[in-house]
Amino acid sequence: MQKPRTVRALVIASVALIGLTACATGGSEPETSDDILIFAGGEPDHLTPGRQTVAFDQVMSVFSPLVDLDAEGNTSMLAAESVESDDATTWTITLKDGWTFHNGEPVTAQSYVDAWNFTAYGPNAWENSWELASIVGYDDLNPAEGDPTTDAMSGLTVVDDLTFTVELVGPDSQFPLQLTGAQTGFYPMPEAAYDDLDAYDREPIGNGPFEMTEPWKDTEEYTVTAYEDYAGPAPTIAGITFRPYTDNLTGYNDVLAGNADLEYLPTAKMTSAIADFGEDHVYSLQAPGVDYIGFPLWDEKWQNKELREAISMAIDRDAINEAIYGGLYAPANSLTAPNMNGDPAGICAELCEFDVDAAQAKLAEAGGYEGTMTIVYPGGSGLDELFEAYANQIRQNLGIDAVASPTTDWAEYWQSLVDHTVAGPHFGHWGALYPSQQSTLRALFTEGGGCYLCTGYSSPEVDELLLEADASQTLDDSYEGYAAVQEFVLDAFPTVPTFSATYNYVTSDRVVELPAVSGSPVLSKIVLAD
Amino acid sequence: MRRPGVVVPAAILLVLLIISAFPAFFAGLFGNGDPRVCDLTRSIDGPEAGHPFGFDVQGCDVYANVIFGTQSSITVGVLTTGLALLVAVALGVIAGTRGGWADMVISRLTDVFLGFPFLLGAIIALNSVAERNVWSVSIVLALFSWPTLARLVRSSVRGVANSEYVLAARTMGLSSARVIGRYILPNAMGAVIVVSTIMIGSVIVAESTLTYLGIGLEAPAISWGLQLASAQSKFQMAPHLLIFPSLFLAVTVFCVIVLGDSLRAAFDPRRTA
Repeated sequence: MQKPRTVRALVIASVALIGLTACATGGSEPETSDDILIFAGGEPDHLTPGRQTVAFDQVMSVFSPLVDLDAEGNTSMLAAESVESDDATTWTITLKDGWTFHNGEPVTAQSYVDAWNFTAYGPNAWENSWELASIVGYDDLNPAEGDPTTDAMSGLTVVDDLTFTVELVGPDSQFPLQLTGAQTGFYPMPEAAYDDLDAYDREPIGNGPFEMTEPWKDTEEYTVTAYEDYAGPAPTIAGITFRPYTDNLTGYNDVLAGNADLEYLPTAKMTSAIADFGEDHVYSLQAPGVDYIGFPLWDEKWQNKELREAISMAIDRDAINEAIYGGLYAPANSLTAPNMNGDPAGICAELCEFDVDAAQAKLAEAGGYEGTMTIVYPGGSGLDELFEAYANQIRQNLGIDAVASPTTDWAEYWQSLVDHTVAGPHFGHWGALYPSQQSTLRALFTEGGGCYLCTGYSSPEVDELLLEADASQTLDDSYEGYAAVQEFVLDAFPTVPTFSATYNYVTSDRVVELPAVSGSPVLSKIVLAD
Repeated sequence: MRRPGVVVPAAILLVLLIISAFPAFFAGLFGNGDPRVCDLTRSIDGPEAGHPFGFDVQGCDVYANVIFGTQSSITVGVLTTGLALLVAVALGVIAGTRGGWADMVISRLTDVFLGFPFLLGAIIALNSVAERNVWSVSIVLALFSWPTLARLVRSSVRGVANSEYVLAARTMGLSSARVIGRYILPNAMGAVIVVSTIMIGSVIVAESTLTYLGIGLEAPAISWGLQLASAQSKFQMAPHLLIFPSLFLAVTVFCVIVLGDSLRAAFDPRRTA
């Protein structure tokens, strides 16, 4: 089941980049209620937590995760009373008492186990199935051939109404982090959901701070309101209207005019957002995503490590950040984003620093470069200026005839990686769903990791080091372990880390405070002006 | 032919033609002639000495880029029209002189092509070509612009083919090729040339439009359409990015169309100046 995982992660990446395409309703009638937030976003794909891939904000407002994150990436228990393990392999999850779904049904251990099994069940082909892949029995539900003979994972055991255990295929100290909000495959579903899954997808019944007031209809806005009996911390606003826009620039203007309250900032507007909105209403949120340049490592020409290092040192990340991203991104100096727990900042050292002389020396060491260097990126994603800048810098600083070349669309770019036909250095992005270095390193630098194609790099040593880090008994130990992985990978230098992404939002004057976790606003805690 | 409607646009176009033939020389007039020397730290800075049009998003000299853009735009305009004219004359002459089933087939073929919405057809065709450079864009544009010309050629050729001097030439036993080359074509081309001139203008607009939409020329080509596309999101902060390429584009197209109109007036015996 590697494929859905890969595709999904890339979809996330592309969505983040394209900047959440959005709507059609064209509605901008003045909102009467003072406490309803109008979210200018994209059209959801699904509202079932096990299925959505682009409706994070929508789904995360209707559901609550077991484990919560704070702005610093620390975990605290939300729907769970505790998540504990002695060996990091078998985890006992105890639920808080008194939680109910919006239809009044109590949230029990069975609600979780049933939902996870249903999500993981291969024939259902639910998009977020891969998130559960490290649970024992997942493979039985997703056999390589034929139909599964069971519909339950053997690693899940209900102990009592509020307790269940999860057995993982190997020790993994990061498991609690995997239970946080953006991994929506770990959400529970009420029994009522299974009666009519299509209807549920339109009007999900969750355990979260807000409940649906009406079913979602294609391209139309809908509103969720605060759930009275919510057992978690009460939301600070009365509700949210999710309004989809087909053109995010229209949404941008609507937020600017005060017709909507919050939107993901389109890349094209990054340099002008602060002038338009003022510093108080542009939020640059540290996101668990990384941008990098990948290489066709199967091609002998690109197996030259010095060449890749020369390219890295020839790129002036600070200048690009200022000119293209209006200073809103952060130049990368490790393989993971700075807000990842234990990110070994600066581990890339001089290889990620702009130094023309050193870059030229590296190029000479590499034996120079003959011919045209085609740098490939997916077209239609607003990446043109960025890659134009990369090409300009490589051309001017290394004297290589570098050309930035867009593919027609995302699919063509992806296919060129699958087919090994990509013409040269290429775009890369990984947006992690939980703030653990594990997510990024495993995905990009192991063969079974989900985005092996993105980098084309793996090695037995990396696999070994990662398993060691995963098995650490404490989080602090695991950070050291992941740092060792980064050191090893950077020594081979298969990719050029370029930026750690920020997810940027603009808000109307009504929004006084926009709390955020892992790069995404926490809608239930937004503070609106009186 | 001394009227200002001909002389002024013709002079301007001549200058633009010379610019597009020697862009490097003109771009270098202010000392920063390489459109690919870019300094990101100067991104969207305004005009200054040595950089009369300022800097673009990438920190490249806008003046040099606009001058080099002249070359792409005019090349596409002339190349497309040339290709379309070639096809149109070949088919138009066959249809006009042969008549019969050849005429019918060719006329229906032009009808079919005229039935395609131009922009939609071009968008689909351009999306399916592997590499979008001056040649491929010109060929695609020519593919959808020859039918109008072909119809015109056909009707002019038919008009001329029945005239007495052509009959006389045929009676003298001259070969068909000679009759067509010596007597029919030269007399049938007047109106065609006029329409072709105007077409150059509309082709340049079409190329810029398609490029602006992201389906015409693509980097590393230097084109006004690309410059406009990159300028649109920065217009409020850096209007110079939009103004200079659009100025060149507008002037070029305006001159071509005015010239075409004036030529039409000059060639048309029914209209007096």
